[in-house]
Amino acid sequence: MKFVPQYKKYLLLALLTLGTVCSYAGGFPTRPGSLLISPSVNYFFANKQFDSLGVKKPFPDNGKFNSVYISLYTEYGISRRFTFVGSLPYVINNYQQDGKTFASSGLTDMETGIKYYLANINYKYYFSLQATAITPLYTNPNLGYQEEGAEFKVAFACSGTMLHRDYYFTLENGIRQYFGDNGPVQDRYTGTFGLTLDKKSREQIAVSLGGFYTVSNLKKFNAKSNLSKDFSFKQASISYGHSFSKDFTVFLTGGTFIAGRNTGAGSSAAVSIVYKIGS
Amino acid sequence: MLKRLYKIPVIIICLAAMACAMPARAQEKEDSDDKPGKEISTVLTSGNKTSVFDSQAHYTFEVINPTANPQTGTVSYQVTTEKGEPLNSKEIKVNIGKNSSEKYSFDIPETHIGFYKVNFMVNVSDYDDTVRRVFGLQPENIKSKNARPADFDQFWQTAKDELAKVSPNFKVIPMPKLNLDNREVYLIEMQSLDNYTIRGWMTIPITKNKNKKFAVLLRLPGYQLDLQPVEGSDNDLAIIALNVRGQGNSRGPIDTRKDEFIFYHSEDRNKYVMRGVIMDCLRCVDFICSQPRLKHDNILASGGSMGGYLALATASLDKRVALCSAQNPILCDIRNLKGEVQWPITSFEKYIQTKPGLTMDKVMDNLDYFDGKNFADNIKCPLIMGVGLLDHFAPPNNEFATYNIIPSKNKRIMVFKDLGHEISQQYKDFEGRWMRDNFGLF
Repeated sequence: MKFVPQYKKYLLLALLTLGTVCSYAGGFPTRPGSLLISPSVNYFFANKQFDSLGVKKPFPDNGKFNSVYISLYTEYGISRRFTFVGSLPYVINNYQQDGKTFASSGLTDMETGIKYYLANINYKYYFSLQATAITPLYTNPNLGYQEEGAEFKVAFACSGTMLHRDYYFTLENGIRQYFGDNGPVQDRYTGTFGLTLDKKSREQIAVSLGGFYTVSNLKKFNAKSNLSKDFSFKQASISYGHSFSKDFTVFLTGGTFIAGRNTGAGSSAAVSIVYKIGS
Repeated sequence: MLKRLYKIPVIIICLAAMACAMPARAQEKEDSDDKPGKEISTVLTSGNKTSVFDSQAHYTFEVINPTANPQTGTVSYQVTTEKGEPLNSKEIKVNIGKNSSEKYSFDIPETHIGFYKVNFMVNVSDYDDTVRRVFGLQPENIKSKNARPADFDQFWQTAKDELAKVSPNFKVIPMPKLNLDNREVYLIEMQSLDNYTIRGWMTIPITKNKNKKFAVLLRLPGYQLDLQPVEGSDNDLAIIALNVRGQGNSRGPIDTRKDEFIFYHSEDRNKYVMRGVIMDCLRCVDFICSQPRLKHDNILASGGSMGGYLALATASLDKRVALCSAQNPILCDIRNLKGEVQWPITSFEKYIQTKPGLTMDKVMDNLDYFDGKNFADNIKCPLIMGVGLLDHFAPPNNEFATYNIIPSKNKRIMVFKDLGHEISQQYKDFEGRWMRDNFGLF
């Protein structure tokens, strides 16, 4: 009897989580006229959960959840101040529980937005604002809230040299509101510190800490969407990047949930490519 | 048990070694007091990072006495104007014990806007020393007392009109033997005012993308420097090093001795060497705008000393210059240089002696048309300027008198309290970030 609600509950969390891991380290302005394309593939696996009190325990009935999240992220520098930002995600989900299997796949929430380069301090510390529209590209209720939404994000980024190596640091916080009846409000945050490992900046390593905090008037299971709207989690991840040229970089990322509430407790591995044109 | 027994001789040996070493170390310490290297020293600490104050200047003067002899005497300061006229002074008697240090705080009661020289002196039993510094009070309010000629703009419009009549005949000559690891090197050549041939160097990042366009750093030369092809790791930037007439590979009809260049034909403002030199800079902007691989709206004019002065003049006279970076620009508020600096005033004075009938007033009247301060009015582009408070050629009063006139809303001045005619790496790093941001080279 629990099969369907459990699956749908953790499905959404997986989608959100993977999206966070794959996202390009924003915050810095984008060169006018340049196009950044970043396809990524992320595998997520969970067989445990954090309950409503944040206690970690196995899924009921030996449940296992895995998901492959494929995303195409892009940025285009419209001008020195304005950047177009977009992402198109596709997901393949699989949940198994004592001989039963449930699967779904499809496009999910497309994001399109504008990033505005707000200010800097000494051309070293950058601040930007971003407004994003969320457009559901699916009718399957198992793939998301099926609601349009909007997000407003503030980002801080800086870079410099440390121990004769280049580093960067970004902090981002976005507030997202899904519209419609009892649409949840989400706070999505992430902080990333990256360091190059060689003088030519071809090798780099980055660590991130990010998470979600979601609340809704509807705190219990919703028969309409079957999706949890009251949960939170924190995840840590580490990335290794190799630049084949200044325009082409491949990242390998691993991440895991370190805390949560009403959410799955899983780990992820991702490979993403950042390709710049016109820079 | 056996292990413990084994340890005993080891401990004994260690203790014995330490016992032997202690007298030796004590002996070293006693000897060191007599070593000539162990001398009294001083540390002067300004009340803030730039020695620029809103009201009173504040300093702490520390005298460190590492010797075994107590020191008695005085610590004092003497403030003068930049021209050396004495102002406030103070002297206090001091008594510094052996192997100790003392700190003395001074609030300097100057209140008038401007920059001042201050000498801190220590005169004690075994040591005399003077530390020379400069501090400023509200420099953002410094104004020049010297007027801009009413026909200043017309004078330069005439020069530009004359330049426009000269066919530039731009030449770009590849110099593959001079190519750098990541840059192609070109000798550039063009005709400037009076049909004078000027030359310089252009280095462009090597790229497979033949359609890529580069922002331009136009590097303008210091006094009598011979600029060479400029290296650089920036893949977005073409760098042009211009040798103006009479310098480097642009020597030709004007081939003066080093000290003669500054006054060359200063008796006639229409023939003064700087008129041609400044037009050479504008002709180089023409060159940049003729090159399809260069971004014509991304030109940074930058230089130090005379190069800083030329950056100001070029940004003032040619609006195609998008950014201006002037480091320690000379020839600013020229009439006010007399008494503050020796060069270039002494050079002009020598020149006058060789020209019967020529007076300093006449030269100054001519130099009004070449004063960096007088170019400042028309600088509308973003600008950064670097100033060394101990500069013997470009004193801070004159630099601020110029900077304060610049109407650009996007301007910044960086003050280096311990530097003379130079700027720090901090300025160069900032210049790079500032340029990249303004040109959108993120």
